[in-house]
Amino acid sequence: MTNAFTPATQTELARFVAENAQGAKRPLTPVGGRTALHFGYAGKDGAQVVDLHGLSKVIDYPARDMTVTVEAGLRIDELQTLLRTERQRLPIDIAQSARATIGGAIATNTSGPRRFGHGTFRDYVIGISAVDAHGKLFKGGGRVVKNVAGYDLCKLLTGSRGSLGIISQVTLKLRPVAETSAFLWCPFEIFAEVENALGRLLQSDARPVALEVLAGSAAHLIANEARAGLPSASPVLCVGVEGTPQEVEWQLDRLRKEITPYGVQDLIRVEGESAEHLWTALTEFQTSADDPLTFQANLLPSRCMEFADAAVKLGVSVQVHAGNGIVIGQLPEEAATVEQALAALSSLRQFARQAKGNLQVLHCDPEWKSRMPMCGDPEPAWPLMRQLKQSLDPHGLLNPGRFIDA
Amino acid sequence: MSALADAPAHLVTAAFLDKLRSIVGDGNVLAQAEELLVYECDGYVVEKQTPDAVVFPTTTEQVSQIVKLCNAHHIPFVPRGAGTSLAGGCLPIGGGVMLALTRMKQILEVSVRDRYAVVQPGLVNVHLTQRLKGTGYHYAPDPSSQGACTVGGNFATNSGGPHTLKYGVTVNHVLGAEVVLPDGSVVELGGPVEDSPGYDLTGLFVGSEGTLGICTKLYVRLTRDPAAYRTMLGVFETVDDATQAISSIIGAGIVPAALELMDQGIVQALEQAFHFGFPLDAGAVLLIEVDGLEVAVDDEAERITTLCLANMAREVRRAKTAQERQLLWKCRKQAFGAIGRLSPSYCTQDGVVPRTRLPEILRFITDCGLRHNIRIVNVFHAGDGNIHPILLFDERDKEQVERVLKASDEILEKCIDLGGSVTGEHGIGVEKISFMNKLFTPEDLAVMQSIHDCFNPDGQCSPGKMLPTSAGCGNEYVPRKNPGRKASL
Repeated sequence: MTNAFTPATQTELARFVAENAQGAKRPLTPVGGRTALHFGYAGKDGAQVVDLHGLSKVIDYPARDMTVTVEAGLRIDELQTLLRTERQRLPIDIAQSARATIGGAIATNTSGPRRFGHGTFRDYVIGISAVDAHGKLFKGGGRVVKNVAGYDLCKLLTGSRGSLGIISQVTLKLRPVAETSAFLWCPFEIFAEVENALGRLLQSDARPVALEVLAGSAAHLIANEARAGLPSASPVLCVGVEGTPQEVEWQLDRLRKEITPYGVQDLIRVEGESAEHLWTALTEFQTSADDPLTFQANLLPSRCMEFADAAVKLGVSVQVHAGNGIVIGQLPEEAATVEQALAALSSLRQFARQAKGNLQVLHCDPEWKSRMPMCGDPEPAWPLMRQLKQSLDPHGLLNPGRFIDA
Repeated sequence: MSALADAPAHLVTAAFLDKLRSIVGDGNVLAQAEELLVYECDGYVVEKQTPDAVVFPTTTEQVSQIVKLCNAHHIPFVPRGAGTSLAGGCLPIGGGVMLALTRMKQILEVSVRDRYAVVQPGLVNVHLTQRLKGTGYHYAPDPSSQGACTVGGNFATNSGGPHTLKYGVTVNHVLGAEVVLPDGSVVELGGPVEDSPGYDLTGLFVGSEGTLGICTKLYVRLTRDPAAYRTMLGVFETVDDATQAISSIIGAGIVPAALELMDQGIVQALEQAFHFGFPLDAGAVLLIEVDGLEVAVDDEAERITTLCLANMAREVRRAKTAQERQLLWKCRKQAFGAIGRLSPSYCTQDGVVPRTRLPEILRFITDCGLRHNIRIVNVFHAGDGNIHPILLFDERDKEQVERVLKASDEILEKCIDLGGSVTGEHGIGVEKISFMNKLFTPEDLAVMQSIHDCFNPDGQCSPGKMLPTSAGCGNEYVPRKNPGRKASL
């Protein structure tokens, strides 16, 4: 990649894209904190990097409306620090927050353990501005929490990976911070018992915000990161709750009673600083890049334990957002060649498909990409998406060959 | 009638009707003038246009065939649910075929374990929640018309409701959909699992007011029932105090499950209708509901009570029994029905302002009513900043009608000035199309138009809706002639 263009204003960004569209027509690769550049296929050679980190202004923070409008290049840690001054937050777990930007996080639709209780970006982005392939600055939504005027471009751009427009500014709905949080760390012997416990938790008197299952070496890795001296048996059910100290206490007590009958080995409370470390470890797991390949599978929640069981037998480390049916898996080091990696993936891919889901590779050796399902198996609506990409970006200038049009 | 009468002569011939009948059966086609009258408008009664035929498909395959047939004959078509929408979203501009989806009303699957349900678009909203009773789960979007409106209609307009303050609007609860595209092809968007790869076309389709295709099946998210709730009625001397209280509550970082304001005019009408025991001399009341863990709801209710009292509330009452709570909600949800007691005609608006600007917009509305000599009453989703001023008038008096239109436009323009929107949940439809270029730049609209044209290049599917440029059958858009909205339940 060549030198990046780093605009200081949205107008400058638009002008640059317009000049490119009228002139050189080079492929453009928008980047934020560069934490997700490995997503998708390799794309075309000679792409011009457009670095958004110069667009980091807070445009408006009317805290009493519980909304904030910021430029896309603002870093996540800076955003959350600002919001904390008003006891507010964006309740989405975003990995590598000291590098990741809000625009990049939205473009990749990233999420973490709290998605069970708080949802994902599609629940928080209420206004969005972006520069289209022609260099025109456009917007959708607005700055109020409820608005149905026009097409919902916030939804269209969330997760579009820079292929429909370069996100330049966003307005977010916010939530109050939770006073405190805690976990129950529950090692089990077999997956079937975890599934039974999960079924019970769907009718819990408590309202957990995270239902995580860790298996294979994931339990060990995350336990280590959390530095709380947790047993790293496998599988582990890890239930997160938030609220006032009184709410947290009450919920932990209820959860303990509800989970106990299901063949659990132990129930360990994780609180205070250890809980903070554990949230971080659960959020960062998907980015640890020592493994040869990281994938994300999405399937029916009721099939996740079977899937995890099968994955662990293949040596995969597994983190399951069990309430949502999302599985993050890391292949073992032994999967050293592309053939070995594909072999390990093939049965899991098939399983995910059968469970009405999909499997996509988030990260792998760049050499392997062309043979990997970097964007999952095409969905039935894929041709329609291509058509949409074509009509918004007729010359294929925005991240071409990396996502829908690969 | 209106400019619509000038629409090009329709092409629906007897032979075409026979073809429709061969698709759906004789009993599922209406084409007699008197039968079609029912379908001349939705809850937006200002503009009327009867379709040339109404068909009642019962399967996706039939919807697809009807759409293909219309395309082959260059006849416009428009989907319709229960017709409770409030902005003319199912007005059949240019006539043509109306696909009434009310006979596709099955609940196809409920999976509590996987927290989703698969339903047909014609299902009445409340029937889903009734079916879920006892499972510990419900379908969260609860528009006031939920006893009549359909989930497909909710999908098309991205409907809200009182409890969307905490739980989000329709789009936050739709996982996927099967749609028939304007060319008649059938495609699945998303599905029962989260994070389907690719663009979020489901999110794009929700709220697209039928202009991108026809939804024939929905995958919806089920929401856990609240463990406990407390329902309160805050009584205020003035609307101003009530709106200041709302600002304080949200500003304190409390997100109630619902936060609704009713002013004196509405309260008096409701009291006549339901005899709840509302204080008739209060300037405004707030209906506030908090939900959460049993161990926490009393604290939250207490904090809200304190904030209300600090903002000059005369008193804050609690609903003591489930029956009392139910009656309070019945009053709120049927508020529009009680307005008949106040005036022969009325027109409601659906503006949104940042929540901190509520006192300002409410003062503006009062002034506006005085300036134009129009009585205005208010009942609205205060916690969201989504106002519903109701302008009362007599539609037989043309001069009054003019003043109502002027006042409405001024209110919506003020919403835009304050950084808000002209519609929070009713949609643009045909009613507010002229505001689109006040909310959006030509660049914004050009992107929306490209999306429209990508799916609906001929504009035959729901012509004349939402986009000021979406010309269909020679109608740029429907000019607003007169108000007279009767609104929903």
